Amino acid sequence: MKILSFQSFSVSYSADAPPALRNISLDVNERESVVVSGLSGSGKSTLCLAAAGLLETYPAVKRQGVILRHGKNGSEEPRTAVVLQNFYAQITYLRSTVLEEIAFPCENIGLSREETFRRVGEAVEKIRIGHLADRNPLELSGGEKQKVVLASAIAVRPDLLILDEPLSQLDPETTAYLGDVLTELKKDMALLIAENDPYLTLKVADRLVVLDEGSIVSDGRTETAINESTARYLDLPAWTVCVAEAAKKGLIRKEPASSLYELDYRSAIKMLRGHG
Amino acid sequence: MRVKYEGVSFAYGSTEALRDITCEFGSGRTVLIVGHNGSGKSTFLRMMNGILKPAKGTVYLGDVPTKEKSTSELARRCALSFQNPDDQLFAQSVAKELRFGIDNIGADGSLLQPIIETFHLGEHLGSNPYSLTYALRRLVAIGGSSAMNTPVLALDEPTAGLSIREKEYLGGLISLLKKQGKTIVIVTHDLNFLLPYADDMLMLSHGMAQFCGRKEALFERGDGRELMRRSGIRYPVYARISAALGSDRVCFGPEEIIDLAAKK
Repeated sequence: MKILSFQSFSVSYSADAPPALRNISLDVNERESVVVSGLSGSGKSTLCLAAAGLLETYPAVKRQGVILRHGKNGSEEPRTAVVLQNFYAQITYLRSTVLEEIAFPCENIGLSREETFRRVGEAVEKIRIGHLADRNPLELSGGEKQKVVLASAIAVRPDLLILDEPLSQLDPETTAYLGDVLTELKKDMALLIAENDPYLTLKVADRLVVLDEGSIVSDGRTETAINESTARYLDLPAWTVCVAEAAKKGLIRKEPASSLYELDYRSAIKMLRGHG
Repeated sequence: MRVKYEGVSFAYGSTEALRDITCEFGSGRTVLIVGHNGSGKSTFLRMMNGILKPAKGTVYLGDVPTKEKSTSELARRCALSFQNPDDQLFAQSVAKELRFGIDNIGADGSLLQPIIETFHLGEHLGSNPYSLTYALRRLVAIGGSSAMNTPVLALDEPTAGLSIREKEYLGGLISLLKKQGKTIVIVTHDLNFLLPYADDMLMLSHGMAQFCGRKEALFERGDGRELMRRSGIRYPVYARISAALGSDRVCFGPEEIIDLAAKK
């Protein structure tokens, strides 16, 4: 079932600037993970803000078209949580410990004390920030703050979780296990993730949407969406870059029908070894 | 200009951030500082231009201990670009933002034009920085710091939020500054992109230095992989590919891998 549906949706921030989004039609289904990639300025963050319903708070922003949201069990709105690109701005400044910070949105939606306690514990465990529990959120490092905001978003168990560049300040180990966490979360919620990290995309995305200058240039299954025509907008996995470069230099002979963009690590290594 | 930390410790209240760090970066070197979230990377960097002063030990910029100089004096030796560009930007236009540091310390502005070209900021000079995308705001922040033409440049997570296009621009800037003999110190999680540009690495874990030296030396160590794992660092993907291709020399970027494949 669709949870979010953009229908011919366009956005302009001002009359003299080119539109930030142009004629976007895009569906996100229940328990589906959609990764949105594209060069800087392609509209990824605007798409996240629009999906979260946050653009409506800016009267000067001109919008056309509609966004339909469908909640679970016939409710009008899906419960939506978002981690913004500038996640620093999402720390409440009202709470003196990480645990209380994460509890804030749960309290806001009226959960009982016991339920809040349970969900905060769950989120802390998922994001592996137990060691930060009693620290003041304002004293944390950038990456630690990003984890806390992510935990706050997860704790409300949204129907739709929107993440704008969730890996930007995370260390590589966290980045790696976050892929597993998101795969697990996908069983219970839809994910809309603006991210250029190809390793996260390969691990988590059911679909990859590629944006360029506000328009969707590709929307499809991840394995087929990374190809000759979309590669210039994307960060590619290292092994894919190597195979594509080696093929261009004639070091790899390829079947005419196959893609230059080998996404599978083992197959890529085989090719580079000269057995492909 | 060389940078030297001698027995440096620092704490935020009761939270220890750095413990007894001793390391040295030679003049003209490009250094990557890596480590898990909360390992002390940004604290280390903020000490380099005297925003923070060590609680114990001494930080030297060239031969000058930072303790003995004011932050404004140190600004002529080391420029720093923050982790969050929005903490740094405040001018009304990109042009003013890029000039601010130069005018403030009375620097030679000869790097400004090459930076504008390398970062492709020409068409945005009249824009308000806050009307730009996050990636462009980051480039403006890095550009403004770099334009100060200081012998040492410190960058905190310069690739965060950049797409591949701006990452290539950043690579161009690092190459440009390297040629000028700048010492460049970069806090990053993006080893896959930045390792080819680096000479040295400093690896931090829980505020302690786990490794400081030539990048090759880390990979040649028998326990290098284990050290990285304990510091929250995944083994970089090009190094992994070169090992899978049976190379006895570790590779840091795609060009080296292609050379390897060509020899097969």
